[in-house]
Amino acid sequence: MPPLDQGLDQGLSWPLRVEVWDAGLRAVRDQLRGFGLREVSTPIRTGEVALEPWIEPLRAGDLLLATSPELAMKRLLARGCGSIFQVAHVFRAAEIGARHSEEFHLIEWYREPGDLPAVIADVEAVVAAVFAAVTAVIDGHAGLAPRTWIRVELLDLMGETLGQQLAGNEDAQAIKPLLRRVRQDHGIGLLAGDEAPPDDPELARLLAWTELFSLWSDHHLDPWLARQPAGVGVHVVGFPASLAALSEAEPDGRKAARFESHVGGIELANGYRELRDAREQRRRFELVAAMRARYGQPRLAMPEAFLAELDRLPPCAGVALGLDRLLALACGCSRLDQVGLAGL
Amino acid sequence: MDVSELKKNSKLEIEGQPWVVTDFQFVKPGKGQGLYKCKIRNMITGAVIDRTWRSGERLETADVESRKFEYLFSTGDTFTFMDNETYEQIEVRTELVSDDSRFLMDNLGVDILFYNQRPVGISLPSHVTMEVSECEPGVKGDTATGATKGATLQTGYELQVPLFIKVGDKLKIDTRTGSYVERVNE
Repeated sequence: MPPLDQGLDQGLSWPLRVEVWDAGLRAVRDQLRGFGLREVSTPIRTGEVALEPWIEPLRAGDLLLATSPELAMKRLLARGCGSIFQVAHVFRAAEIGARHSEEFHLIEWYREPGDLPAVIADVEAVVAAVFAAVTAVIDGHAGLAPRTWIRVELLDLMGETLGQQLAGNEDAQAIKPLLRRVRQDHGIGLLAGDEAPPDDPELARLLAWTELFSLWSDHHLDPWLARQPAGVGVHVVGFPASLAALSEAEPDGRKAARFESHVGGIELANGYRELRDAREQRRRFELVAAMRARYGQPRLAMPEAFLAELDRLPPCAGVALGLDRLLALACGCSRLDQVGLAGL
Repeated sequence: MDVSELKKNSKLEIEGQPWVVTDFQFVKPGKGQGLYKCKIRNMITGAVIDRTWRSGERLETADVESRKFEYLFSTGDTFTFMDNETYEQIEVRTELVSDDSRFLMDNLGVDILFYNQRPVGISLPSHVTMEVSECEPGVKGDTATGATKGATLQTGYELQVPLFIKVGDKLKIDTRTGSYVERVNE
């Protein structure tokens, strides 16, 4: 983590935090409204969340707290609401650390019609606007705004750092030796679910790619990002097909139309050209449900209401950007609790 | 316990040894598996290693506790200590105390580490004050050259001390290095 917080260990003063949030929220809203998007506010308590391998919702009575506003916003798009954005409170259980908090804010927006280049440009514009707005209110110790952005193909970078070319659609057997190696590099043991690979080759592929990506990110991607010159933002594009989540597959079937944006070595945003095929989405959620069962994670209901409307989703692209992280970066802080309004 | 409950000072049992988490960082790539990157210290040997666990892993907690004791006496094979609060006496094998035995004086306060209710380690205060029982006569005035001579302390421990030290002096000794720190004036 970049040592941006020298002298700021206690974080910003409370009046300054309020100014930072006020400036940041205004900048986000001005920017996205200026692009013609309309602001929405979808329910925080919800009956269904996207099934993701390693994202755990918090419970609120019989309902769940939203882990992301994605499903609700896509249902609005499916009902003809056009391009929209939201600054959403979201909750993810047991994510606690310097850059993680169980409760945080996602700026989430969708362009309809839209594709990845448009929302990637949006990310750059929102980041620039927030840095400019925050720098204006916190004299003296602002973070370094990205002056330029580069794009890197995820699979090329994985291939380069691991010494083995990857197409993105390899089955579990093909990447097993790589996985064994990165596990060794990490000195980690096996989970109960790791011992015997599942019979279903699609599930095996999901398990293998999810783990490979997680360990590789920590061991290779983060150090690679840390070596990039200061002031360079990085869009990592072209995820392997197994990590498509809720994005559309590229026509070659190897990759997903998904990207992540990083600033100062910190992952800020995740975006998709959105999958609009309910059958395919259900298939992916079912695989995730099987994976979660394997690791003994709580069972989550299939998001039927979302799936029932997904086929009517118009062609669109969307992004989720972590506002707390962006404000921390703009303030030159490396921990969310140095700028957040939590802990009151 | 589940790995998500891990925090600094968590005590874990790994391959039959007790470890304590001394540093810990949670990282999580986008939609990937969370990693708990830890530094852990072996509570018996003191060895420090890096260890990473992934979300979903379960860890064994170690049954360890540290209690305060006072040194009473040695039988040759064992050292006997008394619990400060309960007056319970325990015997600890000499191997466990090893080099630390050279600092064991009557009534010295020590922390004894219990693992699964058995003593597995002893930690002394970082400094102790011990009396010189034998040494060559003191040489006045020579405090600057750094020259030293041999001396034997009350427990039989032999070490190098400055030339001005004499029999009966009380010395402050660093128990981590075993070396002389200063003369204590009383």
